[in-house]
Amino acid sequence: MHETGLREQLKKIIIEELNLEDIEVLDIKDDDPLFGDEGLGLDSLDAVELVVLIQKHFAVEIKDMEEGREALASINSLADFIDNRRA
Amino acid sequence: MTSENEKKWSSRSVGAPWQHRFFYFLIRLGGRHIAYPFLYPVVLYYLLFKPEERRKSRYYLERRFPGRQGFAALRDSFRMIMGLSRSLVDRALVGICGPEILHTEFPEGRRLAELAAADEGLIILTTHVGCWQAAMVYLSKLKRPVHMLMQQDEGDIDRHYFEHSGQENPYRTIDPTGFLGGTLEMVAALNRGEIVSIMGDRRQGAEENSLAVDFLGAPVHFPAAAWKLAAVTGAPIAILFPIKTGPDRYRIELAEVIKVPKQESRPLKRLTPYLTRYVRTLENLCTKEPYQFFNFYDMWEEQPKP
Repeated sequence: MHETGLREQLKKIIIEELNLEDIEVLDIKDDDPLFGDEGLGLDSLDAVELVVLIQKHFAVEIKDMEEGREALASINSLADFIDNRRA
Repeated sequence: MTSENEKKWSSRSVGAPWQHRFFYFLIRLGGRHIAYPFLYPVVLYYLLFKPEERRKSRYYLERRFPGRQGFAALRDSFRMIMGLSRSLVDRALVGICGPEILHTEFPEGRRLAELAAADEGLIILTTHVGCWQAAMVYLSKLKRPVHMLMQQDEGDIDRHYFEHSGQENPYRTIDPTGFLGGTLEMVAALNRGEIVSIMGDRRQGAEENSLAVDFLGAPVHFPAAAWKLAAVTGAPIAILFPIKTGPDRYRIELAEVIKVPKQESRPLKRLTPYLTRYVRTLENLCTKEPYQFFNFYDMWEEQPKP
């Protein structure tokens, strides 16, 4: 999949499946933090769902804190993580 | 899930390090037969001369026995603090003398074993009731790795039972203060069909990660993580209460097994009916065994926003 396509797909999945209200794909910047007070503002319970969604849509598993810290930093890092795992 | 300024309770132990070591010495000397009698002066001291410690027992007891005052209230506090003290001695006993020192019965043990063997993952929801080490020892028989979401505050001098015998922790610990509250490790473990043990009665993070349910007549914010995990991964939740039934006896009660359908994961409020089932089992337990729910902070303090 084209890199931009993957990033857009990730944004759509996050918005639709995490039911984020009043947020459009264009509102999410590729390097915005996904978690915490800045950026998208997802929390640990969203992480539970996101990890399962990544597994469901891309057959890629985020197994632990080290992997998660790196992969879930932003849309960019998540897309890179999925690309690397699928390569 | 974790935010230090949101946490209203502490795992920090009451008592100085030498007091704990003294009781470990007594246990090595003569087991509970020597250690239990020494608890009376210690508990009476805290009850009569440490009003702030006595006060901590009243948050729950005033809800459980509303209107009780004077000597009756003091007796309630004594029974509850003594119950906790004995459970701490029992925990040390297991570590020092081995798990066979306690006679533990588990009438529905086979059902739990079947749930663990089903390869769906299993969430064991524990509560600050009785001595959970009595239940944890049993878990080693389930032939599945057990992960415990467990936090120990700095300054907590009360040892975990396995530390007494110099053993490594037989369970894999997940730190709730770690990245995203340890949720990634919990999801991964459940996806592998393993067991994750979570405390159901203490919130460790922000209010938005909790759900308010009436408990003993007023709303309490209970943690939502276990229920969210169950909905997302499909793992059932087994509610376990290890209840002290005699000086060296425990009975593990499998109070309920709750399966949360996947479509209930969002919004968070859809999990409330499942959480409510847990809270009702806890209320039933508080009715039957009022001095075995070891709650020493005001869990009713934070009222839900209107």
